[in-house]
Parts: sequence; C-alpha cells; structure tokens
Amino acid sequence: MVRWGMVIDLDKCTACQACIVACRVENNVPIGGEEEVGKERAIYWNQFFSEIHGSFPNLRLRMFPRPCMHCEDPPCVPVCPVDATYKDADGRVLVRYDKCIGCRYCMVACPYGARYFNWFTPEYGEGHENHLNPDAVWDGESWLVGPTPRPRGVVEKCTLCVQRIERSRKEGVPVGSEHQGGTVSACAQTCPAFAITFGDLEDPGSDVYRLSKDKRAFRLLEDLGTRPQVYYLSEV
Amino acid sequence: MTESESHTAEAGLRPIAETTWRFWVLVAILGAVMTWALYAYSVQLGVGLGSTGMNAPAYWGIYIVNFVYLIGLSAGGVIVASLAYVFNLKEYKPIARIAELLAIVCLILAMVFVTLDIGRPERLVNIVLFGNPLSPLVWDFIVIVIYLAICLVYGYLGTRPDIVAAMKAIPKRARLYRALALWYTDVSPAALRRDERTLKAIAMAALPTAVALHSVTAWILGLMKAQPGWHTALLAPLFVASAIISGLALVVVATVASRRFLHLDIEDSLISRLGRFLVWLIPIDFYFAFAEIITVQYGREPAQFSTLQDVVLGPLAWSFWTEMLVGLLIPFLLIVRSKDRTPKRVGIAAFLIFFGVFFKRIDIVIPSLIFRWLPFPMGGYVPTWVELSLMAGVYAFGILAFTLFAKLFPLVPLEKAERPEGEVVHVPAAPA
Repeated sequence: MVRWGMVIDLDKCTACQACIVACRVENNVPIGGEEEVGKERAIYWNQFFSEIHGSFPNLRLRMFPRPCMHCEDPPCVPVCPVDATYKDADGRVLVRYDKCIGCRYCMVACPYGARYFNWFTPEYGEGHENHLNPDAVWDGESWLVGPTPRPRGVVEKCTLCVQRIERSRKEGVPVGSEHQGGTVSACAQTCPAFAITFGDLEDPGSDVYRLSKDKRAFRLLEDLGTRPQVYYLSEV
Repeated sequence: MTESESHTAEAGLRPIAETTWRFWVLVAILGAVMTWALYAYSVQLGVGLGSTGMNAPAYWGIYIVNFVYLIGLSAGGVIVASLAYVFNLKEYKPIARIAELLAIVCLILAMVFVTLDIGRPERLVNIVLFGNPLSPLVWDFIVIVIYLAICLVYGYLGTRPDIVAAMKAIPKRARLYRALALWYTDVSPAALRRDERTLKAIAMAALPTAVALHSVTAWILGLMKAQPGWHTALLAPLFVASAIISGLALVVVATVASRRFLHLDIEDSLISRLGRFLVWLIPIDFYFAFAEIITVQYGREPAQFSTLQDVVLGPLAWSFWTEMLVGLLIPFLLIVRSKDRTPKRVGIAAFLIFFGVFFKRIDIVIPSLIFRWLPFPMGGYVPTWVELSLMAGVYAFGILAFTLFAKLFPLVPLEKAERPEGEVVHVPAAPA
C-alpha cells in the first residue's frame, strides 16, 4: 500500500516561493489578476503564508508554504453531495472536475483553506497560456482528476502532482525524494533549498517516512484530528 | 345551506371572482422585479459566481443566508397544521391554509436560492445520480422533498372542498378547477371524513419531519469542525426554536395582511392568540443566545471566542444588535401585555420578528465563515447588485405565487362553521 505525502523543512525554507510558481505552471493553476487577488478570489494550490508573532522588539516572522494536507481523515470528503471529491487508494484527496457541482461545501469544511473555487473562467497570463501542461488524468471511473484546465464553477486543489506520479509508475520510474532522479511533486523538485521532500509515508525506506518521525516534525492544526499527510519540520 | 353560511361562502369567493386594478399593479411590479432578476441571473451565468460578492473565506453568502432563513420560515405551516389537526384546536383551522401555502412557497424559494448558489447548476442532477449518503446536503435534499410532499398533500386535501365549491360557483373556470382538484371532486360527507382522517395522519407525520428538516439544515453547518461558530450541539435545537418563532411570525404577517387587503373572515381573537404564542417563544430565542454567549465567553476557547467577538462587536455587530433589539426585544414589549394584543400590534410585532430573524441568519452564516485557522489575509463579504437583484426577484416570485394562489383559491376555508359534533370548542373572544 502506498500513501503519498510530503515533509517541508521550515529550517531549510528560504521563503523564495519558487514552489508556488512551479505548482502554478505544472498544474495549470489560473491567475486571478490583481483585482481578483484583492478580493480573495485567487487560486493557489500551494499558498504561501507569512505571520508575525510577538510585538516590537520581540518579533518573529514565520513563513511557510501550504499545499493541500491530503488528510488521512479529510473533513472535506464526506460532505461532498455528489461524491466529486474522494480519498484515493494511494492516499491522495482528489477532485473530479467534471462531476463537481460547485456548491463549495468542501471549502467550508476544510480548516486549511486548501480548496479554491473557479469564480470565473480560468485565465492564464500571456506566455503561460501557450505553455499549458497538456497532461490529463482520469480516475478508475473515468472522471477527470488531472491538470487539464478546469471549467468555471468547480472546486480545485493540490493533487500531489497526480499526473507525474501516475506516469512514472506506469513507466517504471521510481517515485520519491530518496531515489536519485526519482519523480517528485513540482514543488519538491523546484525547491532550491531542498526543503520539500516527497514520497511514500508507508515505506520505511523513504525519506518522508524517516523525516515524518523526526522530533522536529509537526502537522498543521493537529488538534482537529485530520491527520495531515504533509508534515513540517520546525525551525530550530 | 343556511343563509349565513352562504354569505360566508360568497365573501370567501369574492377575492377570486373580482379582480381590482390593484391586483394588476402588483403583478406588474412583481413582474418587473423578476425580469430584472432574470437579467442579473444571465450576468451571473455569463460571468460566473465571480459576479457575486462571495470569495475566500466567504465561500457562501446571501444566497445561503436566504436558504437557511426560508427553511426556517417554512416551519409555520406544520405548526399551525398540527395545532389544528393533531391537537384538534379547530379555531386554528381558518389559517391552516395560509400557513400551508406559505410553507410550500418558502420551501420552493429556499430551493431556488440553493440553485442560485451552485457553480454549475446544470450538474445539479448529480445529486440524484451520485448522491453521497454521508453528506448533510444530501440529507437536507431528501428531507426537503419529503416535507414539501407532505405540505403539498396537506394543502391539496385541505383546499379540495373549496376548489370544488369554486368550480360550482364560477362556471366559466369549471374545467380549470376540476383539473386543480386533480379530478377528485367527490365532496360527500364520507369522502370528506376520509380526507380528514388522512389530513390528521399527515399532520402527525409532519411534526417529526419538520424537526428533522430544521435539524438537518442546522447540521449542514453545525457538523463542520472547521467552522468554530457553527460547531456546537446547540445549533440544531436553536434552529428548531427559531424556525418555530419565525415561521409563526410569517403566518401572522401574511394573515394580518391578507385579512386587511382581501377582507378575509378571520377573527381578532385568533390573531391575539397567535400573538400570545409569539410572546412565549421570544424568551426561548433569548435563552439560546444567552446560553451560547456565556459558554463561549466563559471558556474563551480561541477559535470560538474570536467568532463570537466578530458577531457581537465586529463589522457585522449591527446585524446581531438589530436582531436582539428590533427582532426580539421590541416585539416582546409590544405584545407582552394581553390587552395590547390587537391585530395591528400583533401584526407589527410579528413583522419585526420575521424581519429580525433574517439578521440572525446573517450572524450564523457569515462570521463563522470569515474566521480562519491559518494566517490568511482578513476576509470580508459584501453582496453585489447581482445577488441583491436576484434576492429581490426570488422574493417577488414568492409574493406572486402567494397572490396568484389567493386569486385561484379561497385563502380561508369556506366551511369554517363545520365542526365535528360533540366536540365544539368555545373560545371566548378577546376583550375589546
């Protein structure tokens, strides 16, 4: 059994946000435009947060990227009225873009704000529109779950780069940060500081397995009992 | 038929037979509002839900506020129906039809609002094709359909004798009324007794269904652990309580208004009795609000506390205080003394309650959504003209439906004097 997950080392993260850009390009994540970003309609499968703790002079700036947590017990999945979002056999939480009715109940149910709605028909910046990722992934029931540009009015979110992982497994390419040249998610691949590790949380030989057991490891909002499959390593 | 009975029947049928210019003006205004709303909907369909004020984290907005509001308002039907048939308080029978009609209209409007909120309305059929039994939205869909069916059967059986009466009284519309009676025109005492038995059984089934309807609607929100403002066991009982009070208030408003404009045969004493119910119900709403506030305030659990602060002191605090003062306290003071319960005062108090509960719905839906666990930028929500136009259009449609019904059928049962032998209920009129 496979359970894909990631570990993000906040001590290594330089807050360069290349992971956010790489995700946008890999997954055809549309750009909202300045006005819509201001209205909180922007889409980020991986969103970057910065947070100031304390007050002057005892300030501490914390910054971290937040992909979908792919919870083991995802609150977003049971609420979907049409079964358009589900936890797949490999531990990913996916959205069936051609089944979703756009009620946004899953967004209401997600404490991480990891789900995004297509308030408009997706638009891509000049240049980006000529370089869209042509990949498409269908699940076992022939619903579209891969990175093809989504229609207006549906919910979308991080898939842990399902298109990369599925193609590599078909072609026999190893998946996981522990393999030399192994396939990983776009955010993990692009990170210049090697802060993001991708792999199978069930495989005792994998990097994510080892790091998820590290004493610095924690998960976001652990008290809510969602058991994310994305771990963070705290700053020392 | 005695002279007085035939007089009653004639008076009851008058709004149907005679149409004044006022009716056409009303229809024209409502039609104009609905046409404008259709234009707004074409914009929403063309541009997408981005044409509304909704965003992250206000994933839901005024459409869902109205949905929750209207589901609550639909409770009036079952309350009056059960008073009249389960508890056998025949004096409530004259308003049972108005109450039932309002329940049906409110349920339909609620479903329209949900449809407006959907990103891809053409895929709504997926709920039937792929319904997920774990989703509270699916539970709500099922219970709304059941409740609507109950209200329709109840309304049909209760109105049928009068449809037949109208069929006989207005020959030129006889075919129409025959069809509206679903070709079941037998009004022999045996048939009416059979209908009465069915009505009683349905009224009993309606009570638990209504509790389920309001609880399940509350659970759409209350089961979400991500939403600290909703995630309380109090939410479902609170919804049932505020549904009862707002539903009853709407019945009173509609009764007082249609009595005034259509000169219906409804006694003052009945309205003052309904006013007494409202007086008893208001403190229950206060009690729930207090129980919630003291629990959160005392415990100061950060997420819940932050949401409560938003409700009571935040940018939407005007809504909370409007509900508490205009929606509960003022109506309570208006009709708390029994000698104050004149139809006019009860009507005003009921209108304020009915109006105030809308703000309660805003307080429930919006502030909790605005709360975020992670350090997102501070969110907010202001509805756009598209949402407000559609809202106006949907309510115009509701008023039109109610008005057309009043044009087609007597709003007050014609055989109001009919009481089963041996259990005549004598109700003293209210002191003048």
